Amino acid sequence: MILLVDDKQENLYSLQMLLRLHRYETDTAISGEEALKKILKKEYELIILDVQMPGMDGYEVAETISGYSRTRDIPIIFLSAVNIDKRFITKGYASGGVDYVTKPFDPDILLLKVKTFTRLYRQTRELNEMKATLEQKVEERTTELLEANKALEISNGELQQYAFIASHDLQEPLRKIITFSRLINDRFLACIPEAAIYMDKVVAASERMRKLINDVLDYTRLSGRPRFRTCDLNQLLQEALADLELSIRDKAAKFETGQLPCIEAIPDQIRQLFQNLVSNALKFSRKGIAPLICIQGQRVADKSFTSPAACNGDYCRISITDNGIGFNEMYLSKIFTMFQRLHSKEEYEGNGIGLTIVKKIIQQHNGLITAESSEGAGTSFVIILPVKQTPEIV
Amino acid sequence: MRPIFLLIDDDTDDTFLFNEVLQQVDPTVVFLSAANGQEALDTLRSAAMLPDVIFLDLNMPRMDGRQCLSALKRDHQLKHIPVIIYTTSSHPLDVEQTLQNGAACFITKPTDTRALINILTTVAGNVRSNLEDALLALQDGVTTFITG
Repeated sequence: MILLVDDKQENLYSLQMLLRLHRYETDTAISGEEALKKILKKEYELIILDVQMPGMDGYEVAETISGYSRTRDIPIIFLSAVNIDKRFITKGYASGGVDYVTKPFDPDILLLKVKTFTRLYRQTRELNEMKATLEQKVEERTTELLEANKALEISNGELQQYAFIASHDLQEPLRKIITFSRLINDRFLACIPEAAIYMDKVVAASERMRKLINDVLDYTRLSGRPRFRTCDLNQLLQEALADLELSIRDKAAKFETGQLPCIEAIPDQIRQLFQNLVSNALKFSRKGIAPLICIQGQRVADKSFTSPAACNGDYCRISITDNGIGFNEMYLSKIFTMFQRLHSKEEYEGNGIGLTIVKKIIQQHNGLITAESSEGAGTSFVIILPVKQTPEIV
Repeated sequence: MRPIFLLIDDDTDDTFLFNEVLQQVDPTVVFLSAANGQEALDTLRSAAMLPDVIFLDLNMPRMDGRQCLSALKRDHQLKHIPVIIYTTSSHPLDVEQTLQNGAACFITKPTDTRALINILTTVAGNVRSNLEDALLALQDGVTTFITG
């Protein structure tokens, strides 16, 4: 609906005829005051406004409606005598579109303008409606997600608690089994070798179970909100190696370590990561060949294994390479899966959680890990870690 | 004068084993036990004779080992008795805190009875002299013995 405002009835009439001919719905007002009353009551997509009117002139009407949010977007075409008052050009009333047509006006030109502005108004309105719908949908979806997230957090917390308690409580009876079995062995079976062998198997199996529970416990402790700190990776590596001292000496292992960068990380977890990877390298060494383990690190530009080195890169790439037995790369995804092993427990001890823990730690740090290997030729684990961690936005 | 050892532990199996090994190592030692911190304190405060050494577990109901340690070290009559923490925990934080709070030694319960024999032999052997030094040596020695 278009509102036509002119103090002269004959002008209103001819405008109305012109527009109705082109199928526009019209309404009229004979004065600025009447126009205002109507504008505030009804919705118009365009106002054709005579400037020179007694009482409230066209500009005053425009100025008034520009003050109301509901009406300030309505486009206005001013009908003015030859001397156009440039007031409104400088005033900047432009939110709904403003145009001028001088009297006497060319009907074709006026129609073109009417078409343009009504289309503009309609499109703006559609856009606003779509925006409102979208915003509401996004809000709904966000609320849904937040609730789902909260539920998951609670469930996760409970699971962690159960896992912790279960593992903790399982350890007590297990400890007794191990202690008293050993006692029986030492005190009464020293002279009955067959029985001693059976008891050794009991003890060995129980020890494996204990290690398993400990590892599962370690794994469950990896969830939850991470707390990052600036860490010196070299120091963490040395601490991990110190814990493996006995094993390193046993195997006469040699290390070649390069300088590792400082990054934001969870120190305990990174230490465990190094420990697990080096422990594997030691464990899966070739018979008769002393393990040689190379640990190198450098900053790289992007989060990819093939990224070029960059001294101020946002990521760092660390590689841990050994000269051990290696593995067939077709099992790459398997080795990171919980409890999956490539060897029987007779060949190599372990329960298949070590690398799962490593992978979880990498996830917690928003990093990447992969391994390159071939059977008989050693393995190289490659890790990408961000140098800086963005704090969690709650 | 027969030495007196007090074990404060709620675990009946560990108490049983401790006594067994102690009898084997030095049958002259008198063995006392309490199932939790509160029970121990009550007994100690009304005892005619105080123990020479207290072995203290950490995770117990009612009053746990950490609280009991504080109470022992605050009590004028009892604070001179050397306390050996004897627990399943191997958490570095527990070690640090208990040693800081006055424990003479921190021992993680071994699964190998031979380690327990070693520990009790050391303590029983030095209870009348140089116990502090013996316990320090034990602290270092125990760690390597158990992980070895």
